[in-house]
Amino acid sequence: MKQRAGFGTLGLLAGVAFAAGFPVHAHHSFGATYNLKTEITLQGKLVQFMFRNPHSFVHVEVPDEQGAVHRWSVEWSAAGALTRQGVDRGTLRVGDEVTITAYPSRTPGEFRAQMLTLRRPLDGLTWGERSGEVVD
Amino acid sequence: MARNNVLLLLLSLVASAPASAQLLVGRERSPPDLSGEWRLESDEDPGQPPLGDYLGIPYNDAGRQRSDTTAESIWGTSEYRCRPHSAPHQWRGLGGARILKELDPLTRDVNAYHVQFWRSLDRPIYLDGRPHPPAYAPHSWTGFSTGEWVGNTLVVTTTHLKDGFLKRGGPQTSDMYTMTEYLTRNDDYLTVVTIVDDPIYMDEPYVQSTTYEYDPNTIVQMESCVTSALGEAGGTDPHFVPHFLPGQNPYLTEWLGEQDWIPEAATRGGAQTQYPEYVLASPSGTRRAALPLSRSALDVGRMIAAQSPRDGEVHVLPVQGNIYMLVADGTNITASVGPDGVLLVNTGTVLMVNKVRAAVDALAAEVAAAPRPNPCAGANCAGNPHGWASPAMNAIVASPAAARPIRYIINTSAAPEHTGGNAKLAVEGFFARRGGTNVTGAAANASVIAHENALATMSAPPGDAAPLPPEAWPTDTYFYDFQKLSEYVNGEAVIVYHAPAASTDGDSIVFFRHSEVISAGNLLSTVSYPFIDIDGGGSVQGVIDGLNHILDLAVAEYRSQGGTWIIPSHGRLADTADVASYRNMITMIRDRVRQMIDDGMTLEQVIAARPTLDFDGRYGSTQGAWTTDMFVEAVYESLAQR
Repeated sequence: MKQRAGFGTLGLLAGVAFAAGFPVHAHHSFGATYNLKTEITLQGKLVQFMFRNPHSFVHVEVPDEQGAVHRWSVEWSAAGALTRQGVDRGTLRVGDEVTITAYPSRTPGEFRAQMLTLRRPLDGLTWGERSGEVVD
Repeated sequence: MARNNVLLLLLSLVASAPASAQLLVGRERSPPDLSGEWRLESDEDPGQPPLGDYLGIPYNDAGRQRSDTTAESIWGTSEYRCRPHSAPHQWRGLGGARILKELDPLTRDVNAYHVQFWRSLDRPIYLDGRPHPPAYAPHSWTGFSTGEWVGNTLVVTTTHLKDGFLKRGGPQTSDMYTMTEYLTRNDDYLTVVTIVDDPIYMDEPYVQSTTYEYDPNTIVQMESCVTSALGEAGGTDPHFVPHFLPGQNPYLTEWLGEQDWIPEAATRGGAQTQYPEYVLASPSGTRRAALPLSRSALDVGRMIAAQSPRDGEVHVLPVQGNIYMLVADGTNITASVGPDGVLLVNTGTVLMVNKVRAAVDALAAEVAAAPRPNPCAGANCAGNPHGWASPAMNAIVASPAAARPIRYIINTSAAPEHTGGNAKLAVEGFFARRGGTNVTGAAANASVIAHENALATMSAPPGDAAPLPPEAWPTDTYFYDFQKLSEYVNGEAVIVYHAPAASTDGDSIVFFRHSEVISAGNLLSTVSYPFIDIDGGGSVQGVIDGLNHILDLAVAEYRSQGGTWIIPSHGRLADTADVASYRNMITMIRDRVRQMIDDGMTLEQVIAARPTLDFDGRYGSTQGAWTTDMFVEAVYESLAQR
């Protein structure tokens, strides 16, 4: 039986409260960095998970249509917010096959994106499909 | 009865107290005290502007293009991740402001205010009348600020600022702007009017205001950037420079899809968009005021030139550890001075050699031969092996020891401005070959080190006239990727790295590993585009690679500034942030010219298209030995040779 990660309402509320009390304001602007009108899908192997404030990052190696593998950096929520949504340092492991939908960078040629959803087929873990699971 | 006696006693004491003592009880609080915790109350902006919105910013074409081509992703690159907000935005950043007083312990006057924000460094504002540093001193995120009270308003003048952004998320500034702030306190409100004067990118100064409210319950949060910034950039190229080619940023008008009542022309900014006379609804389109209504107070050409003063003098700037920067009639020389003697990186022009020698001797005497104050007295000086009561006696009684000689000269290239003093300084120097002080004649000359390609240039092929006499030629050359000096010099390792096909085929950079200083040679100039000698084996890619190598070696101290200092061939002392900005500029220009070549444009067409438009006011020149057109031609030629 596949395990599906769950994120309780209490945790979500706590996360919102945390975010409201302690702004995690990145030095860059999301709207200026990422194209919020376009979505891309990245399917590949996770090679790094940096669980931290003010924002977490996952790095995923993704092959393009020509087969060349690119290392994508996907910006995620703050560690505090993720914790309250049920994600911790051990949730993702190097080597995990993941599927990510994301807003791509506006910059041509850059392998960078902002997380919208994450899915790990192995156990059905998902993030980004429940209310409040957004990067801010 | 007793109560009346006490009252009489108190009255008599007050009456007999001297007037001066009464005045000391309290001093008039004027001007007002600005210190305390301040909460951000309001400003004119509704928030961060959308991409491409320069309305109200008095941009010229250069400022507009600089902002259009800047990618916000630059903040994910190594040299940008920990940068604080730029100075014009600091008062508007989140988290409030803390203003501290620095008091004179004797007079209790306020010597300085220190302003701190959440995402900033400590910013001193000196009120003690000290001058601003020379133009060849480094720039920083907070700049150098002095204040003066005009009535109840503190007028703050800030110079020496790094390049950055005017507003978060797009509009850029050069590194030549100055900022004037007017801080006025009315009861619990502090109004800050900021004037940014950036003649590189603006036709007029830009004015904004911010209001704070006194709030002792607010705190300025701490934010460290030690590890929280790793891994933002994607891909595997650590030197990737995100940017847009001119005219190819598709996002500048994206927001107008939802705000279609705003004419696009207005969003491009310009001095006229600052004023009420700019009426969008005017039947004739726009109604213009007689512009400019105000002008820059800065002579930016003179300011840039002052970073590299060609005044026939040698100016000495202490850098870090053993290292000094000598600004010799506009050409920089790096000097390591200490107990082993002197190591020079480059020797300046031949015309300056006597003054350079005098400046080096004075430094050597000051650093390594000057008498020191007696560190002890009488019985505290026990243990002196020579039987004197004071070990410092000799130093005080006798004249100072002779300055230690120049032992090494390292040439970062064969350029005449870097090798002109070689002959005299090498001959007058001393390097102990074959054992000690008995060495005389040419064998005792200072060791002159360079890449062997630089020697080939200096000595010329057989049969040709050499540009320099043999005594000026390198005595010790290397041909590997790098050469470590075989022993410490003044207590530290010195490593010379080759920068292949950069300004020429014989460029080097020199790393002082303990002092944390890099002498960059012709790879870096803060007053011009890099000199690229195509016929001498140079290339734009080699310059970029060399700058990237410097960035790989250098480490910022904190918040992407300071730490490893980088001495350019010309101009002000720099750090990783400055080198990154310079590298970014050259990378952007390279990509623009490459695109034009791919589009089939000729050299003449490329020059006419001005791929350097947004940097010409800062680094360009229409006259002299290295013009903008010559630089563009060198970029074109080195790319067309692919």
